[in-house]
Amino acid sequence: METFEVDFSDLTFSAAAEVDAFYDEIDRQLAASGRRWYFLVIYTGCVITPVAWERFAERGKSANINHGLGTVRVGATAQTRDAIRQDAGRSFFRANIHDTRDQAILALGELRKKQRDSLPAAEDTFLRVDDVSLRFGGVKAITGVSFEIKRGEISSIIGPNGAGKSSMLNVINGVYHPQEGTITFLGNKRHDMDTHEAAAQGIARTFQNIALFKGMTVLDNLMTGRNLKMNCNFLQQALYWGPAKREELEHRRKIEEVIDFLEIEHIRKTPVGRLPYGLQKRVELGRALAAEPTLLLLDEPMAGMNVEEKQDMCRFILDVNDQFGTTILLIEHDMGVVMDISSYVVVLDYGMKIGEGTPDDVRSDPVVIRAYLGATH
Amino acid sequence: MLYRDAGQFKDTYSADQQIFPIRQDRIGVTLVLLFAFLVVPVIGDQYWLSAILIPFLVFALAALGLNILTGYAGQLSLGTAAFMAVGAFAAYNFVLRVPAMPILVSFALSGVMAALVGIVFGLPSLRIKGFYLAVATLAAQFFVVWALTKFGWFSNFSSSGVISAQKVVILDYVFDTPVRKYLLVLAIVTVMALAAKNMVRSSVGRAWMAVRDMDVAAGVIGIRLMHTKLLAFAVSSFYCGVAGALYTYCYIGTVEPEAFNIELSFRVLFMIIIGGVGSILGSFLGAAFITLLPIFLNTYAEPLAQVLGLQLPPGIVSNLELIIFGGLIIFFLIVEPLGLARMWQIAKEKMRLWPFPH
Amino acid sequence: MQFFFEVLIGGLLAGVMYSLVALGFVLIYKASGVFNFAQGAMVFFAALTFVSLVEDGFSFWVAFLITFAAMVVIAIATERVVLRPLVNQPPITLFMATIGLTFVLEGLSQLFWGSQPHGLELGITDMPFEWLAENTGMFISQFDLFAALVAGLLVAGLALFFQKTRIGRALRAVADDHQAALAVGIPLQQIWVIVWTVAGFVALVSGLLWGARNGVQFALTFTALKALPVLILGGFESVAGAIVGGLIIGASEKLAEIYIPQFLNAPLSEAWGVSVNLAGLEIWFPYALALAFLLIRPEGLFGEKHIDRV
Repeated sequence: METFEVDFSDLTFSAAAEVDAFYDEIDRQLAASGRRWYFLVIYTGCVITPVAWERFAERGKSANINHGLGTVRVGATAQTRDAIRQDAGRSFFRANIHDTRDQAILALGELRKKQRDSLPAAEDTFLRVDDVSLRFGGVKAITGVSFEIKRGEISSIIGPNGAGKSSMLNVINGVYHPQEGTITFLGNKRHDMDTHEAAAQGIARTFQNIALFKGMTVLDNLMTGRNLKMNCNFLQQALYWGPAKREELEHRRKIEEVIDFLEIEHIRKTPVGRLPYGLQKRVELGRALAAEPTLLLLDEPMAGMNVEEKQDMCRFILDVNDQFGTTILLIEHDMGVVMDISSYVVVLDYGMKIGEGTPDDVRSDPVVIRAYLGATH
Repeated sequence: MLYRDAGQFKDTYSADQQIFPIRQDRIGVTLVLLFAFLVVPVIGDQYWLSAILIPFLVFALAALGLNILTGYAGQLSLGTAAFMAVGAFAAYNFVLRVPAMPILVSFALSGVMAALVGIVFGLPSLRIKGFYLAVATLAAQFFVVWALTKFGWFSNFSSSGVISAQKVVILDYVFDTPVRKYLLVLAIVTVMALAAKNMVRSSVGRAWMAVRDMDVAAGVIGIRLMHTKLLAFAVSSFYCGVAGALYTYCYIGTVEPEAFNIELSFRVLFMIIIGGVGSILGSFLGAAFITLLPIFLNTYAEPLAQVLGLQLPPGIVSNLELIIFGGLIIFFLIVEPLGLARMWQIAKEKMRLWPFPH
Repeated sequence: MQFFFEVLIGGLLAGVMYSLVALGFVLIYKASGVFNFAQGAMVFFAALTFVSLVEDGFSFWVAFLITFAAMVVIAIATERVVLRPLVNQPPITLFMATIGLTFVLEGLSQLFWGSQPHGLELGITDMPFEWLAENTGMFISQFDLFAALVAGLLVAGLALFFQKTRIGRALRAVADDHQAALAVGIPLQQIWVIVWTVAGFVALVSGLLWGARNGVQFALTFTALKALPVLILGGFESVAGAIVGGLIIGASEKLAEIYIPQFLNAPLSEAWGVSVNLAGLEIWFPYALALAFLLIRPEGLFGEKHIDRV
């Protein structure tokens, strides 16, 4: 039960200093826990003099308490209630005052339920994988991996080659179906993802070995990224006059924003097969961005690039996260990049999770160092 | 220096995406179309119209159909002739049994029938790819010809399944002279070619090319593979069906199921290999090439041999044709896998720079 | 019942003939990753050359050797003109090149030797095996049995060749990845000439057997198409698959040819009110069978499952 009980019962507060002593202790405990609580405050038999009351009200608005999820009160005397009401002038104070502790607990349940139903997006699971296992015949690619990605952040998966990182991305966007485990995306829990559904829900990705359509130009490749948003059927497109043409031009306009962002105007009409490797990677990122994704999965976006190209790519990734608020999950081997731009790192080895946390946590984790980062002797 | 796009700036996306962005191209194409519609009917003689231009246009249409399926969507098909047969026999039956229906509607419906057959034989493409799919289309090829021969209803119970095309009458105007037939075929083919070009430059065409280039990636970005592949089969077969109907009604006149055999399927396949897979223009270039080559050989083999003092045994021309076809296929695959269309594109690029070398 | 066995065995033996042609395909595919559509044309060329030489007065073995030499020449020419320039192109390009090759071979064959059909005598007649006819009442052709024997020997030899020899291993490497094989120092050109020569030998043997059975005529080139359903059933890369596939296709084709019209003509005629005759469906039946099989098991009985790595 995430309830923090504050027991003022049968206490008397007549001076500011007494209030301070009590609240200092409460603050200290709240700060140490680092969590967010529902508060159950018991006022039964508690006497607060007007002088102490001002201090009470002040301390009651402190940061730690305001950070709480909600407050339920028990047994405030008429005098306390009046004081509270007068001071606060807000009706929910009244609603959250109960006569007995049991009633208060019940009310707490109601409060929690109401809040969960109307919780802002920050409380919804953005992406979570639970206990996912993936096998190919006898080969175990992933075994019992769980982690969670928060909305709006840049997260990374790292690990030695063959650790199952790409397979993990493939599971998230539906290319592979895991034998065990669940994937929760935007609050929907499911056993496996369907690629079409993933794309429709806003997951876009790039691949380790570039998966561009080599026979088409850069422009066409980016336009395929917008395929799901185009609604005209083939007959309208055969005619090309009217709705089909309008749709085509509207999406062209959108694509040009992505082209602008990635600085690839000069190669718009070039067939992708003729571009150098670094530019192809950029175009692939463009195709993913063209879909205006909610979640962007990047599989080794900087593989095979020199320092300058890596810096460019880093800048693009950070800008995407900044400007469009896209959540990014990337696989990368360059530790400098990972530590610099990620806020959360998952470490895989032989298909299992061997570490997770902030870059600093992971960097100093002995298990990770032994398996992957290496130690100097 | 004549063929330059200097000074032609596009300031709207609409202008940038038009089919012929360069003004000289637009002028050229307009001239060609005017020539085809206005001049040829006047100066063309019967032989040129009936034996060269009409079959060229009909086969260009079939090649367009095959190019959509094999060139753009990447699904290899060896059953083109079967779909043409469906179109031909469907048109015959519509005109025969529903005389009140306008003949153009019959042609369109025969295309739709071919499209339905195409979808049925395209269903295996959801599970199988590449050569294996070619086998499925071969099954279609042999089965359709067998069925049309076996079940007399299709040919109104004539012996060996022969059908004779009825007269083409549109709004009391009878299309019985070569000139009229030529203009009808030209009009239909032009409209359908334009429709094809529009489709391949829109999202449906991009979906086809995506499936061709890398279908796993296409699935990942949300393209529905089943829908896209079956649509390719349907549209392609529609085009082949209409081509088959035109083949019967405006070219040969009397046709039997055996005429739509596997050799015809290969012929159309060669047209798109030589002309250029994945290119609308290529379908036309390939059809022109394959239609003209035998005539060229027939006309010039004898005189050439006489000049060289060789004695030509009988039947040599058809064998020479085989050898030259085969040799050309290999040649094109080595030198320019994207066919005549790509060579034309390269020529245009060189023309843009002329007289400078690069 | 007896008739059934007769049809069945006849079908199996016909299937052996299909297997022979399929074998040529499997060899080339296994060793170079190319689907050689021209195998049928090679069969035709070999048969026609042999027959014409015999008719011109050469003895059996001399004609055989000369024809074999011609097949070697074709192998070398094909490697030099077609395969070498197309190294590392996608398989579909190579496939289409072999279609071109088919036409060239067909044209050349007829250019050299003319286009009339010929009969071919191998000394074994297409007569029923007397002992079997007398004891079991079944009529099974001596010729068919002989063909089965020859095919069996050929297959055994080839299987050994692939599995046990160094060249066999090199061939398998080449089939997997041309460039990698080159990088390891495998002499690609030589390998290809060897493979196509062996395939040419198989084509020659097939050509003799088929030609003796059906006469040497242009239709022989279409045996290539007959082998396709066999390859699908058996997998493109398996010698064993070619045999088993051939047997299945041969048997089912014959059985379908005889029994389906027998059982379905009458009921269908009644149901549809017109006279229905389903004869001749063996033209497409093998393909339909192969197709149905493909839907269940796309890589064939013995083929290797294809895993795409993304």
